[in-house]
Amino acid sequence: MPFRLENVSYRYSDGTLALDSVSTNFVKGKRIAILGPNGSGKTTLLLHLNGILRPTSGRVYFEDSPLEYTSKSLLRLRRRVGYVFQDPNDQLFAPTVKQDVAFGPLNLGLPTDKVKESVSEALEIVGMSEYSDKPPHFLSLGQKKRIALAGVLAMHPEVLVMDEPTSNLDPRAAIRILRLLLQLNQKFGLTLILATHDVDTIPLFANKLCILSKGKIVLEGLPEETFSQTELIRSLDLRSPRIAHLFEILRRENHLPIDKQLPLTIGEARKEILRLLDSKNMIEKEGKSYIEARTRKVNHT
Amino acid sequence: MSLGHVHAQIDRYAYTNALTKNSPVTKIFFALSTLIICVTSPSPLVPIIVFLTTTTLLLRFAKIPVHFYWSLLVYPTTVVIASCLIIALFFGYGETLVAIVLPWFSWAVFKNGVTMSITTFFRVEGALSCLYFLVLTTSVTDILITLRRAHIPMILIEMSLLIYRYIFVFMEVAAQMYTAQKLRLGYSSWKKRIRSTALLAGNLFIRTLEQGERTFMAMNARGYDGNIRTLDDLPRPRMLSLMGIIFFDVILVFVAIMTMHSWVL
Ligand SMILES: Nc1ncnc2c1ncn2[C@@H]1O[C@H](COP(=O)(O)OP(=O)(O)OP(=O)(O)O)[C@@H](O)[C@H]1O
Ligand SMILES: [Mg+2]
Repeated sequence: MPFRLENVSYRYSDGTLALDSVSTNFVKGKRIAILGPNGSGKTTLLLHLNGILRPTSGRVYFEDSPLEYTSKSLLRLRRRVGYVFQDPNDQLFAPTVKQDVAFGPLNLGLPTDKVKESVSEALEIVGMSEYSDKPPHFLSLGQKKRIALAGVLAMHPEVLVMDEPTSNLDPRAAIRILRLLLQLNQKFGLTLILATHDVDTIPLFANKLCILSKGKIVLEGLPEETFSQTELIRSLDLRSPRIAHLFEILRRENHLPIDKQLPLTIGEARKEILRLLDSKNMIEKEGKSYIEARTRKVNHT
Repeated sequence: MSLGHVHAQIDRYAYTNALTKNSPVTKIFFALSTLIICVTSPSPLVPIIVFLTTTTLLLRFAKIPVHFYWSLLVYPTTVVIASCLIIALFFGYGETLVAIVLPWFSWAVFKNGVTMSITTFFRVEGALSCLYFLVLTTSVTDILITLRRAHIPMILIEMSLLIYRYIFVFMEVAAQMYTAQKLRLGYSSWKKRIRSTALLAGNLFIRTLEQGERTFMAMNARGYDGNIRTLDDLPRPRMLSLMGIIFFDVILVFVAIMTMHSWVL
């Protein structure tokens, strides 16, 4: 179990209570999405996982031992837990893309060949290989975001914490990166903890969803179950994925016989529509054969 | 062209010119050695040779567009011409070229003043071309990594590294804030202009402090332990190019010595 939070509260120096007694588990190998409106404390929560922030009260456990905040044990933690910041300008400090991506692996003490290998591999993964000698200020925000991710992937972390992974990315890059994270999760058991307010992408990757509001976890569980609580979600200034919303309307307004668990992705929606069509056909077919049978009966007599 | 714009342009060429794949050691060695010979040369002949050589290298081999190089040269050159005119007209002693003597006023142009002025002009232009050669063909990154290898104190290099990167971040932020203020009519009158500029400067200052903190945090998150390590995979200098440069420098020194006494107006 990589992370366990026990009544974690955090108060910023100006008195804002950004986390209010949060307790939860992030199990190894899971893909966790943290959803919440602006200012709900997502970033604050994530910053605790890497020991960047220290809880005002409460405890954070990593693999069942409480985090220690000495520089040595933090260094050890950060070798295993990668953190991609919300704003890539905070993260990219080196004069060229390659140098920036190499920063982490060099800090791990890897030999030069290995470093070069991880750097080119990571750049390949995010699709930015041809930019390796460019300085970051020549890149667009979305491209910088991809470099920031590459800089962390190059360290081969066991847990990847990412703040708003898909903001500022074009749809293709967003899907590509999510797919890639999914692959890393399935192949190497990389634990993913992503904060986002892009609800439509959550069902594509997450198998656990935590909903934060005003510094508290108000709902957590499987995405399908969580998103089915439509009233609660709306009361938190959030919305369900568009597809779930559509099916909810179809159920409520058009009284279609739709499952309690709303479909969240295009794939699920397709299945549900086919199922509905099928059952409709069945009714029609059955209806027809019933009528035919009736008429036959009538004719007989 | 604004100053920031020129700055960014130079930086862009440093990363994209046709000589990027050559060893920075070679380029730095060429630029600095010719620069030193150029400014110490007593006659204008050596600076002229240097200027022509570096300009050819820049335009033909590094493929820097002529108009850009020209625009870089124009502004300093006007300043240099003005300064050299002052030297020619008001400096010197001994033999005169022109002299105006009135009972209450006398003024003379001296031979060695003009000589000095012409020498200075060519020295400065030659030196300028050497520096442009360096900054247009070698990126700041390459220069810093090379300096690190030359055992310049780490702290200086790391600071330059960060300053260099965040100059651009803050230029971007300042430009964005400026546009945002302008779109909300922050520069529509003289008074508002002053107010907006002050706000921008103040904000930018706070931003730099915050940025420092956040960058430090982000570096820590990737295992920063007080040393910024860089990947050293620069192209090695080729012996042949180094020998060529040394040969060129020797010729320059020779020319400089030969013309030392013959160059008098
Ligand atoms: N450095 C800070 N000093 C004081 N208060 C802060 C600071 N950073 C965040 N806060 C406050 O803490 C609360 C939680 O902020 P946080 O950044 O965690 O939100 P978030 O969920 O990440 O929001 P967003 O979706 O906008 O990124 C907010 O009310 C915010 O105003
Ligand atoms: Mg945030």
